[in-house]
Amino acid sequence: MRTSAIFVSVLAASVLASGAWADKLDDIISSGTLRCAVVLDFPPMGSRDADNNPVGFDVDYCNDLAKVLGVEAEIVETPFPDRIPALVSGRVDVGVASTSDTLERAKTVGMSIPYYAFENAVVSNSKVEMASWEDMKGKTVGATAGTYEAIWLEGQIKEWGEGTFRPYQTQADVFLALSQGQLDATVSTVEVAEANVKSGNFPGIKIVDKAPMVPDYVALFTLREEYGLLNYLNLFVNQQVRTGRYAELYEKWIGEGEPADLNIPGVYR
Amino acid sequence: MFNYTFQWKQAMARLPQMLDGAIVTMQVAILSMVIGVLLAILLTMFRLSGSRILSAIAKTWVEVARNTPALFQIYMAHFGLGSFGLHLSPFMSLLLGITFNNAGYLAENFRGALKAIPDTQTRAARSLGFGATDAFRYVVLPQMLRIAFLPMTNQMVWAILMTSLGVTVGMNTDLFGVTQDLNALTFRTFELFAIAAVIFYVITKIVTLGARLLAIRLFRY
Repeated sequence: MRTSAIFVSVLAASVLASGAWADKLDDIISSGTLRCAVVLDFPPMGSRDADNNPVGFDVDYCNDLAKVLGVEAEIVETPFPDRIPALVSGRVDVGVASTSDTLERAKTVGMSIPYYAFENAVVSNSKVEMASWEDMKGKTVGATAGTYEAIWLEGQIKEWGEGTFRPYQTQADVFLALSQGQLDATVSTVEVAEANVKSGNFPGIKIVDKAPMVPDYVALFTLREEYGLLNYLNLFVNQQVRTGRYAELYEKWIGEGEPADLNIPGVYR
Repeated sequence: MFNYTFQWKQAMARLPQMLDGAIVTMQVAILSMVIGVLLAILLTMFRLSGSRILSAIAKTWVEVARNTPALFQIYMAHFGLGSFGLHLSPFMSLLLGITFNNAGYLAENFRGALKAIPDTQTRAARSLGFGATDAFRYVVLPQMLRIAFLPMTNQMVWAILMTSLGVTVGMNTDLFGVTQDLNALTFRTFELFAIAAVIFYVITKIVTLGARLLAIRLFRY
C-alpha cells in the first residue's frame, strides 16, 4: 500500500518535471509538424473552399509560421469554445484562431503580441428600423458565444438594462437566426459582416453602423509557460508586418485598403 | 501530456452563477416532464382509440421522437420553426424539443406498461358497471403509471441531461449555458466543466433517490 503510494508520487513528480523541462519549440521542430488550432467557421479568417480544404487569413498565417520553422503545417479545425481544451489536451501546438487577448484569458493561456485587429459592425435584419448602434437598445440581439464582440454586446445589454442577449455556438447560427428574424441585430467583425452580406447566404440582413468598441486585437496563443515559443511567435508577428506579408494577406483575404495598425500608440509592447 | 494548472478558487467564485443555472435547468426538466407525461397519456389513448388517424398521429410522433437525435429536435424547434416565421425564445425551443422527446419515449413506456396489465382488469371493471372511459381512468391508468414509474424517473434524468443541448439554440441561462459563457470569458474550461459535471451528477442522484423513496411510499400494499 505504502510502496504503491510512493511509486505513484514519484511517477507523478517525474512526469511533472519532464513536462516542465520540455520546450515546445524544440518539440515542434523535431516532430516536423506544426499543429494549429484554426476556426473554420469564421470567414474570411478561416473557412473551407469548394473542395473542403481549409482556407483563409488564419490558415495562411499558420502555413507561413510552419514555413519559417521548416516544418509541415497541420490545420486542426477548432470551434471557438474548443480552442483552449484543444491546446491544453495537446491536440494543437499553437492557436491561430482570431483570439482576443483579454486579460482574463491571459491568466490561462500565453498570448503573443497582436497579429491582427478587427473593427466591429452592427448588422441588423432589414425589417428592423435601425439607424445607429444605439438602436440596439431594447432589441433581441445575439453574437457568437465567447467572442470579443459577444462579451461587449452582453455587457452593453446589461448596462442598458433592457433587451435580450443570445449567444449562439457558431457564426453561421447567428446569421441564420438574424436572417430568420429571431434576432433583430448582431455585432460581428466588419470582415465577417461584409462577407456574409455579399455571399447572399443570409438574405434580409444589412450593415447598420460601426460598433463603438476598442479595436479587437487578436493574438496567437500557446501554453502560458512556453516562453521560448511565445518569444518566437512575437518575432514572427513582427516579421510578418516588416516583410509586407501582413499587408499582402490583408489584400488577399479582406480586400483593398490599409490593414489595421498593430501598434498601440503611447505604450510599450 | 496534460499541461495545465488547475485554479479551483477562480472557478469556485462562479459557483453561485452556476447554481442559478441549475435552477433553470430543473425548471426546464420538470416542466418538460409534466407536459410530456400528459402528452404521452394522450398519445397512448390515441393508440387505444381504434381510430386510424389518431393512432397514426401517435405512431409518427413516437417514431420521430425516438429515432432522431434530441439535438435535431431542439434545433428544429428553433431554426426549423424559425424558417416559417414562428420565433420561439431559446427557453421555449429547448422546452418544446425536450417535451417532444419525452412524450415520445414515455408513450412507448406506457404502451409497454399497458401490456403488463391483464385484460381481465378492464373486463372486471366493466362488469362492475364502469364505462369504457372510467375503466381506463380509474383502473388501468393508475396501474400503468405505477408500472411505468421507474422508466419515468429514467426519462426525468435524461431530460435534465438534455437541457445541456440548449446552448445550440442560444440558451445561456441554464447550467450548461452559464458554464459555456463563463468558459468563453475565462478559458477555465476544465475547472468549470468539472464543477458543472458534479452539479449535474448531484441533481440526477437526488432525483433518482427521491423517486425511489417516493415509490416505496406510494406503492406499498
